[in-house]
Parts: sequence; structure tokens; C-alpha cells
Amino acid sequence: MAASTNQADFRPAGLPVAVAPAQLPVTREDARRSDDRLHVHRARGQNRRWLLLWLLVGPGILAMLGENDGPSMISYAADGAQYGLGFFVPFIPVLFAMAYICQEMCMRIAAVTHRGYGTLVLQRYGRAWGWFGAADLTLTNLVTLVAEFVSIRVGLAYFHLGSGVAVTLGLALVVFSLSGKRYWRWERIALGLAVFNGLFLLAAILVRPSPGAIVHSLSFVPLPGGNVNTLLLLLASTVGATVTPWMIFFQQSASADKGITVRDLKHGRFDTAAGAVLGAVFGVGALIAGAALLTHHGSGIQGFAGAGFPGALAHVAGSAAGTVFALGLIEAGALAILTICASTAYAAGECAGVSHSFNSSPGNAAAFYTANIAVAVVAAGVILIPGAPLLSIALNANVLATVLLPVSLVFMVMLASDKGLMGQHANKRSTNAIAITVIAFVGLCGAAYGIDSFLQATRLIG
Amino acid sequence: MNQDEQGIHLEHGQLVTETSLPVPRAAVSAFVASGLWALRAFAVLVSLMVIYTFISQVS
Repeated sequence: MAASTNQADFRPAGLPVAVAPAQLPVTREDARRSDDRLHVHRARGQNRRWLLLWLLVGPGILAMLGENDGPSMISYAADGAQYGLGFFVPFIPVLFAMAYICQEMCMRIAAVTHRGYGTLVLQRYGRAWGWFGAADLTLTNLVTLVAEFVSIRVGLAYFHLGSGVAVTLGLALVVFSLSGKRYWRWERIALGLAVFNGLFLLAAILVRPSPGAIVHSLSFVPLPGGNVNTLLLLLASTVGATVTPWMIFFQQSASADKGITVRDLKHGRFDTAAGAVLGAVFGVGALIAGAALLTHHGSGIQGFAGAGFPGALAHVAGSAAGTVFALGLIEAGALAILTICASTAYAAGECAGVSHSFNSSPGNAAAFYTANIAVAVVAAGVILIPGAPLLSIALNANVLATVLLPVSLVFMVMLASDKGLMGQHANKRSTNAIAITVIAFVGLCGAAYGIDSFLQATRLIG
Repeated sequence: MNQDEQGIHLEHGQLVTETSLPVPRAAVSAFVASGLWALRAFAVLVSLMVIYTFISQVS
């Protein structure tokens, strides 16, 4: 196939299963992906629906449950500890519904174009925008990864284990997940870890919440009151706990790496929806667990201060609740380390224009594998620095992601609406209207907190 | 090896040789480009505020 930049020569994928007419060279990456796709074709051909679902789920669930990371679950628990059961209980599922809107677009773009987000922004809109996006992602990912290692450390501290164990565990997990040199293997390791995000639901059950109070809170009451800056911080960090730049990069690139096609759109939507539902349920679980601390000075437990939440929960609701919450924090941090490192590696490889697939060998995708490990090493190193402001980093990680998210979302909507790129699978007007509303809401939350906090820090107000 | 010899089960456009080809550049109007730059500038400005707040919290 001759290289061409003529728009007429580029057409979205969507032909029936068949090899392309021209005989093109095949790489190891192609062969690995093809092996995975053969299983999908066989399952589809034999009408084995459950097997087909098993084969096709992955990127959506991992994006959503990876977003239920340490800082996010602490944000949800802090919402509960500060405000009890009320506004945030139905608010979290609303945020995951927003996340579904965004992530479904990422999956669809990957299924049609077989390319990652970084690649498309760079090629479609110019190198400057591509590299800006990668720079935003690298900054927010680094900050968030530090918070993930802190999350693991906080969880381990409950069991009297230190930072060294947290660092070793996180890095060992990254290296182990890369060892198979197959996307399928990496994905299934991560999904196995993601199952344990359900520990937060178990923690919620163990604190024995009032079912009546939970039902009452579904009407968004009572509304949160109190200090405006604290509320803005929790709103911005809660929004940032649900939709972040790395999810956009990750789900699109992982879907392309997995080999998702337009024939898999229904399953891709199911995968994303399932992830959103599970994420919302487990997130609300963390909030309900945190709400058990409302009448026990819960609002005084700031972020990760002294492994506050697991210990406080153990004191209030018994050691089982504290243990389960601590284990949940370890899982939340560990899964997020895998998915965030992957998103960083995808972005680095796509923007550099080099091989960027788990199906490639480390020799052929050196930049991809190096970025995957290097970003984890740097973040792990930060938590070993004596006196590093880990609490502040963890608290602001989601806020920074919220502030930088609108730019990534705008480009994602532009790509999803691009008929030249997406053909019949481009966004409808109604989808664009909803997406623009989401972008405006996210942008307002981030900006409100950022500006209010700045004005307070400079003593211009308050 | 080519696809026939390998028995490759990928669709049109999925091979690495194909995805490594750049997609055509989109035509973006001056209005949209200005909006994107304004959004970028706003995001950077608010990010700097968040970073300043973080530094002042730490110190």
C-alpha cells in the first residue's frame, strides 16, 4: 500500500474479516495480535457468547477500575468522612456516567482507526498538540504515580510494613506484568488485580451502614455545606478521581493494542459500561466506609495523614473493616501503577513514532518498555526521599489532572466527530452536546478550585 | 513473511505497516485553532496556580 497523505486515500477500517488485498510484511507484533484475534474469530463463528465476552473485555474495565486508584478511593472516603451519606453517593455514579461518555469515544476511535490517542492528535492536528498532550500526561502521571506508591505504603503501614516494601512490590509488579511480552498476558494480570477493587464494597458492608440513609442520600440530600474551599477541593478531586487524561490515552491505545475492530463495538461498549458500573459501586463503597467516621472526627483525617483511614476504621468498625480497607488501598495503588505506567509508555512511543505495543519484544520496543519502567522508578524514588511532601502531592494529584483534562477531552471529541477519520462511526450531534457539557463541567470544577486556592494562598481572599 | 504465509487474522488497516502510515492532517479553521490555544493557555495558567498553591502548602 503506497504511503499517502491524500485524505481520499485514507478510509476508516470496517471491512469484513479478510486480509488486505496487497501482501504487506508482517511483524512479530502483528503475529501476536493475530493469534489473539483468531480466538475472537473462532468464538464469534461458533457463537460462543460468553467466551467472546471474556476475550473482548479488558481496556474499559481496566480504565475505570484503574481510576479507582489510591488517591481516588481516599477522596471518596474523605467525602464520606467530611459530609456523611448525602450528595456524593449519587454524585459518584453521575461522574462515572460522564466517564462512560468519554471512554466509549476512546474505544470507538481505536476500533475504527487502530491507532492510539497520541498518534492521532499528533498526526491530525500537528506535532505541537501531540507533544503538549504527552507533556500534560507525563506530568500528571508522575504526580499520580507518587500518590499510588503512597497508597500502597499507607495500606502496608497498617500491617507495619514500610516504604521499602511498597516500592519493591510496585516495581516488581510492573516488571512481572511486562515479562510475558504479550498484550493479552499484561491485560489478564491487571484484570486479576482489578477484581480486588471490590474490597471497598466489602469494607462498606463491614461498617454496617444504615440502608435507609443510603436510600435517602440518592436524592442528593443533604447537600454539602461548610467551608467553600474545602468543598471545592473535594469536588475537584472527586471529579479528578473519575475522569483523568491517562484514561483517555490508555483505553484508546490499549484497545488498538488488543486489536479491537468495528465488529467488536458492542462488546467494547459493554466492557466500558461494566467498568463504569463496577467503578461507581466500589467508589460508593469507599465513601460509605469513610462515612462511618463522620461522627468520629472523620473530617480531621486529611488525605493520607498517618495511614489515617484504615486505622480509624479499625477503631470504629472493627479490625476486619480496617484490614479490608488497607488491602483495598494496596490493590488500588498497584492496579493504577500498571495502567498509568502503560499509558505513559503508549504516549511516549506514539509521540516518538516508535513501536509501542506489549506484543512487541523489548528489543523492538525499547522506548515503550523503558518508559513503562522508568516512570515507575522515578515515582518510587520520590517516596523514599526523607521529608518529601507526600500528603500534599497525593491531595493535589487529582486536582492537577482535573485542570488539565479539558484539553485532552476537546481533542478526543474532535477526533470522535471527525467524519474523515471515523466515517459512519463519527459522533452524533447529541453525543457531542453531552460531551461538551461534560467538558464544561470538568473545566469549571478544576478552574474553580485552582483559582480559589490560589487567591487564598496569596491572601487575596479569605 | 507476508500475510498469506503467516495466516494473519487481522482486518484491513490493522497491520503495523499500515498503522505506521500517518493519517492526513485535518483542516482546522482559524477560529477553532484560536479556541484551542486559548483553552491551552487557560489550562496552563490554572495549573500554575495549583502548583503555586502546592508549593505554598509545603512551605
